[in-house]
Amino acid sequence: MSKEMAKRVHQALTDEDLQSVMGGRGLPRISLRQRMQMTGVDFDGLSREIRRVKEESIADLPRLVEQFKTAASRNGSVVYEARDAADANDYVLKLARERGVKLIVKSKSMLTEEIELRQYLEKAGISVQETDIGEWIVQLADEKPIHMVGPAIHKTLKQVAELMSRATGTELEAEPQTLLQASRETLRQYYIDADMGISGGNIVIAETGTVVIVTNEANGCMTTTLPPVYVAVVGYEKLVSGWEDAAAILRLLSRCTMGMKLTVYVSHISGPSRTDGIPGMPGLPGQGPQEMHIVMVDNGRQLMRDSEDFREALYCIKCGACLGACPVFTSVAGHTYGYIYQGGIGAVLTAFMNGMEQAKDPASLCLGCMACKDVCPACIDIPAMITRLRARSVAEDGLSWKSRLALRSVLKHPARLAGALKIGSYLQRPFADEDSMIRKLPASLKPLAETISLPSISPRPLHSRLKGIPSRDKGVIPRVALYAGCVADYAYPELGEAVVKVLGEIGAVSYYPGGQSCCGAPAYFAGDVETAHSMARTNISALEEGDPDYIVTVCPGCAAMLKKEYLSLTAGQGEWHKRAEALAGKVRDFSQLVLELTPGSEKKPARESRITYHDPCHLKRGLGIYAEPRELLEREGFEIVEMNGADACCGFGGETVLNYPELSNSVMQRKLNAIEAAGVDTVVTNCAPCILQLRGGLDKRRSNIRVIHSAELLAGNDKSDGSATSG
Amino acid sequence: MADIEELVEQFKADATRTGAVVYEAEGAGDARDYVLKLAQEHGVRHIVKSKSAVAEAIGLREHLEEAGIEVRETDIGQWIAQLAGEKAEPVIDKTIEQVAGLISAETGQKLGPEPEAVMGAARRYLRQSYINADMGITGADFGIAETGTMVNLSNDGNDRLASVLPPVHVTMMKRENIVATLSDAIHRIKSLTGESVGGQIPSYITYHTGRNTTGDIRGALMARAQGPEEEHIVLLGNS
Repeated sequence: MSKEMAKRVHQALTDEDLQSVMGGRGLPRISLRQRMQMTGVDFDGLSREIRRVKEESIADLPRLVEQFKTAASRNGSVVYEARDAADANDYVLKLARERGVKLIVKSKSMLTEEIELRQYLEKAGISVQETDIGEWIVQLADEKPIHMVGPAIHKTLKQVAELMSRATGTELEAEPQTLLQASRETLRQYYIDADMGISGGNIVIAETGTVVIVTNEANGCMTTTLPPVYVAVVGYEKLVSGWEDAAAILRLLSRCTMGMKLTVYVSHISGPSRTDGIPGMPGLPGQGPQEMHIVMVDNGRQLMRDSEDFREALYCIKCGACLGACPVFTSVAGHTYGYIYQGGIGAVLTAFMNGMEQAKDPASLCLGCMACKDVCPACIDIPAMITRLRARSVAEDGLSWKSRLALRSVLKHPARLAGALKIGSYLQRPFADEDSMIRKLPASLKPLAETISLPSISPRPLHSRLKGIPSRDKGVIPRVALYAGCVADYAYPELGEAVVKVLGEIGAVSYYPGGQSCCGAPAYFAGDVETAHSMARTNISALEEGDPDYIVTVCPGCAAMLKKEYLSLTAGQGEWHKRAEALAGKVRDFSQLVLELTPGSEKKPARESRITYHDPCHLKRGLGIYAEPRELLEREGFEIVEMNGADACCGFGGETVLNYPELSNSVMQRKLNAIEAAGVDTVVTNCAPCILQLRGGLDKRRSNIRVIHSAELLAGNDKSDGSATSG
Repeated sequence: MADIEELVEQFKADATRTGAVVYEAEGAGDARDYVLKLAQEHGVRHIVKSKSAVAEAIGLREHLEEAGIEVRETDIGQWIAQLAGEKAEPVIDKTIEQVAGLISAETGQKLGPEPEAVMGAARRYLRQSYINADMGITGADFGIAETGTMVNLSNDGNDRLASVLPPVHVTMMKRENIVATLSDAIHRIKSLTGESVGGQIPSYITYHTGRNTTGDIRGALMARAQGPEEEHIVLLGNS
């Protein structure tokens, strides 16, 4: 994270025009994925199919390239393989000069934005006209696309009207239909006059030498059919073997992009136009382009293919679904990332196209909420790649001194952490209000308590309240080890006690294994694999103490570490890996465990309280647990009112809250709006860090809505006033 | 094999939902009248038309011409037939001299029997027709029920120009040519192009669904971006 990035985040969040477009929309009721599933689209099946096609194609790429070249030449196309941006740009410029081209029309293509083809040709004195209306707006504004599918979605009507008025020399009213008509009429003449048309390619079919492009505006059809020379600039990763493979991609591409079954025009172009209509010479150039050139661009793609860690990025079909789902993108928009590709996937692409160093800032914005992964039609694990990017930068440059101090010197050592927080619990006293919430901090700590009110550090953390390992001789009674996690341990010890109480009521015995330390997530997601690994070993050993049947957590981030990441951290380490597997098998979310231990329990009578449930990112998308908490609450007699975007991130996001408090706040505000709009008195969520964030945010709003964990609700902790019941 | 009535219903539903107007004609006369009425309502004077088995079978061009509307065939073979005053069927039995003569007479440009020069003149002349036309009429090789899509195969691309440049676009399609799914469409393409016997794939295969749209101005989805204002699909049965 750099100062430069913090500045850009600030600029984006304080840009009123931008915010009116981006943030003004609030949270969607349900996610794109849910919407597709509800309308009977087999998203999982179709996305697995795309995944298969992409995996196979990229694995088989060298053969597909040769096959494509053979087929394309048979069709009469010319194929040029370009190493990098300069190589590709030179080829197109040289071709344009040889053909005496003065005007080029171009349809939208992210690849040509990546290599800055338009700018290159313009510098050489050739006019290039973007024909996608969004791209035209961006061209007029001399900007980069803000979104890979909607290049100009950030522009207000007034801004669009100003740009188009200047371009057309007529005063245009800031009214959509007026602007659309002006675009249509202005662009039409360009197609007619152009000497060359340039497009990208959404899919490239090896078997038949075909370039597939999808458009809705009809500009693609005109760009590729009216001018006498047609050039398609495509990335190698767009190659697939045959038509069925292309269809697999088409089935979800439009759905993920525009929510349509199929884009309005899907053109499969296999060679220049030809006609047999004139006697004596079949195959003469027809009424469309007389030449078709296909420029295949590498520009870092081969390196990506060779990299086991980042190969997946080549599976991206550029549908933009991940951007729409990303709480960061929808807050700060695409220009903040600083490079041509936006969002988490953009950070990975930037690493290969611009350099690892350049990717650090964009990667630092990720909240790790996994919303992108959830909607990706190619099942790309973007968050995992972001973590690997961070790990790579730590391996190359080391950690900053602050992170080193926090992660390696304190978090890693339970005793030091306890000591530091003990001191903290004394120091904070002058700043804590009567209800033990901290609403204001002095000097350099001020920003910490600005957007959320903070809980006090408990002078009696959970680990000091629960002692002793129950003996085995209690027979068949389930033994549950409590893994607290830092937030619950120090800020909400009463939450841990609630878990113990409820589990006790259903006949389980819980205890607190003393050797546990921080789960290592802060280190792991910051890229400090070494520290995370050491913490994994500490906890694997600690949680074997007392040989529990189950391990219950109140922090899904910790649970995901224990259940998933420890497995990858210990991969290939024999005994340690086996122990990690044993641990993973025992980890449960609170609600999951209660349901498991009390099967067939009857539904309790209805309660008065109106509640909504917030899905913690790591619980829903990380561990796939979203039905269980609701089931348990309903069984206990609570009526759940679903808020808009129940599974949208609260904005806590680990490090983000510290690095970019403004961004975290912006994400949180939308969540709080959705909570308030639901008309409930209680938000239940099974995650201590989410509780910290939402309680703190609602407190700043002076809201009466309380935020509690299911365990507290079931234990009756809510009988007190709800907000921080302090220890 | 799904029932053709079901496929038609599904095709209609999806084409309509995506902004096309689907008309199920009751016979040749009804289909001709629908297109003529549409043209008259829009004050259409010039029409560009690409090859369409349905249009040819019902004598659509002649019907429109009789009503005083100029219809220009844009398939080169059909255009030559049209210039020769012959039935709307591509004729390859003409010599290059005859064709040069016909095109010279139409374009006013003196052409010798050189195929490239003749084609060059045809290209320039027809190009202006697309630009000036008030309506485009095309066929569809087949339709896809699950998406309401029309699929066209061509080497020349004249169908693409006729379907996109004029403000009103009409597709003439046989009901029986609707297939169920995208996969069925691909099988159909493969059998039509004889890919299995090493035939060459057409230069253009265009899937066209509904009316063109844009979401680029302030993120609002608006119909009619840069293509036609109206999309009509006329479905005609075999009988």
